[in-house]
Amino acid sequence: MYFEVNGKRVFATTGGKPFDNNKPTVVFLHGSGFDHTVWNLQSRFFAFRNYSVLALDLPGHTRSEGPPLESIETMADWLHDVFEWLDINNVSLVAHSQGCLVGLELAARYPGRVRSVSFVTSGLETPVNDALLNAARDEPEAAIAMMLGWGFGPAGHLHQGPIPGNSMVSGGRKIMRGNTPDALWTDLNACNNYKNGVAAAGKVSCPTQVIVAGQDRMVPKKATDKLIEHLGSPAVAVIRESGHIVPQEAPDKCRTLLKDFIFENNPTT
Amino acid sequence: MSRFLNFDTLALHAGQVVDPEFGARAAPIYQTTSYVFPDTDTASSIFNLERGGHAYSRITNPTVGVLEQRIAALEGGSAAVCTSSGMAATFCAITAILGQGDHIVASAQMYGGNISLMKNTLPRFGITTSFFDPTDTNACRAAIQDNTKLIYGELIGNPGLDILDLDAIGKIGTDHNIPVMIDATFNTPYLCRCFDYGANMTVHSVTKWMGGHGTAIGGVVVDGGNFDWGATDKYPTITEPYAPFSGINFWEEFGPAAFATRIRAEAMRDIGPSMSPMNAFLLLQGIETLSLRMDKHMSNTMDLLDYLSNHDQVSWVNHPSLASHSSHELAKKYLPKGAGSIVSFGVKGGREAGKAFIENCELASHLANVGDAKTLIIHPATTTHSRIDADALVAAGITEDMVRLSVGLEDVADIKADFENGFRAAKRIAKG
Repeated sequence: MYFEVNGKRVFATTGGKPFDNNKPTVVFLHGSGFDHTVWNLQSRFFAFRNYSVLALDLPGHTRSEGPPLESIETMADWLHDVFEWLDINNVSLVAHSQGCLVGLELAARYPGRVRSVSFVTSGLETPVNDALLNAARDEPEAAIAMMLGWGFGPAGHLHQGPIPGNSMVSGGRKIMRGNTPDALWTDLNACNNYKNGVAAAGKVSCPTQVIVAGQDRMVPKKATDKLIEHLGSPAVAVIRESGHIVPQEAPDKCRTLLKDFIFENNPTT
Repeated sequence: MSRFLNFDTLALHAGQVVDPEFGARAAPIYQTTSYVFPDTDTASSIFNLERGGHAYSRITNPTVGVLEQRIAALEGGSAAVCTSSGMAATFCAITAILGQGDHIVASAQMYGGNISLMKNTLPRFGITTSFFDPTDTNACRAAIQDNTKLIYGELIGNPGLDILDLDAIGKIGTDHNIPVMIDATFNTPYLCRCFDYGANMTVHSVTKWMGGHGTAIGGVVVDGGNFDWGATDKYPTITEPYAPFSGINFWEEFGPAAFATRIRAEAMRDIGPSMSPMNAFLLLQGIETLSLRMDKHMSNTMDLLDYLSNHDQVSWVNHPSLASHSSHELAKKYLPKGAGSIVSFGVKGGREAGKAFIENCELASHLANVGDAKTLIIHPATTTHSRIDADALVAAGITEDMVRLSVGLEDVADIKADFENGFRAAKRIAKG
């Protein structure tokens, strides 16, 4: 569905069911350069289990109007504006990669607005190497190749997607090409500049979950360990065989982990 | 593994998860109609497209799935759906987005089955087609109507071998918010990946070079994932809720794989032209050696072009690799590894001499197929294109003396020796 936030058109898929702000809501937030479709093997599941679902496109990403937002803090405020606009309170936030930093900041700034946060492949902060950052600014196609090359693990590179006939890597490339030209650079720059992870994690009071990818080449293990340490006592699960883009590469295990956590912490009546 | 795999590696490995129970290295043939669900929740999730998985082999099958993902990988597409034949692929692809009152702009120079589909069959479903000369891009633009929803063509036209200017045709499509669908059978993704240029989806008869051994009929539709279905309201089958699947919106939920998912959900379920797992296995064996075979097809083709061009019994030779061909420059641009292994030529002495040539070749097989490992010859005017009318024959560039040659992988000296037998017989006829 489309709606307007701060005068800009925003897109979110609702997983095939009408959005109803009286139900518990699962909000899915994508990572750098991606869009809502990264969650398509999780979002529809929750929509058909009596949750309202919003799998958002951040501004400047495929179907949401730009420009892309320049900092993690701005994205957190924007996400809060989405909640305000749609009048939703009972939210389980599920975030991937960059989206996790946004989720961290949102949960710290607006503690009453989320019932739980699921961090899928995240660090406490996410410094970005110069080669990727410069490519995102100067050679977007090269940057997309780096993102997908490092982002996917063996299953992705062997085109062994879980949906018969579908190629995750090729699909990912089309999504990234569909963003506004500066979206990836703006995203990565925002990640690189985010330094508030320790302080934010200390303020998160809702139940949290961290899903780790055993073959993650985008987020170093020590960065994830720091997130886990500063969140206190999150539920932690490792999907050994997956690369960074877990929602696509290990969708069934990811969905099961999310289901168990969200059903427990934000049950439907 | 953190880097993209190259073509030859993908041709061997893409799409296959090594069998976890027995470790079978080849893709197993899952000769089963249906699949045991572990629980009711998983079953309902698969039926509701909440997760991947197999329910019934008319719609998906694990062996066919390996082939689909391998072809998607080789083509650079976001998704692929295999079908029982190339024509089934074309029909499913077209009817996924077109219906009553819609219009196609298509190249006039295509395989006779494609032309017949658009000229005779689709009008019964309310879908009409305007044909354009593939060498005249402006004619394509001029043929577009308010109800045009698809531009269709073959990159290497059959049998005249004119090359479609993909970039130019793609721009026309972009300008009008109309997707471009290319029958890429003759080029395969080894010679040209059409999504790198102006195509939005491809169809293949994988019976031909992809399989390469003349053992299995099959087709595939590949979704390029690069058409913005949401930029226009012309494609409600992709962008509007689909009632039979709980109102699913393919564009919203599947993004770059929306078109392929629609074909899977509708055509494979309601029409059911599914590929058999055995055929998928045979075709996978072929694809494993695609680049090796295509290189040999190309080297033999170049050798035979030289031989035929200098033969005193040959009145003309047609192939885009020849400087004399009107598409030579386009061939160099889009097909730098070679412009396919179909050659057409005229045998001096006309129809009867051509017939004598075909009947006196022993190694080259006289049959209605192309893209086999073995060399094939046929007379299009009386066979593959015999059901289209005289005007369409002219538009397709077919003459009475034309022999269509599909160059095989034999030792090229043996092919030439075989042809010499044919030409000697043709010469006797020509002399009377």
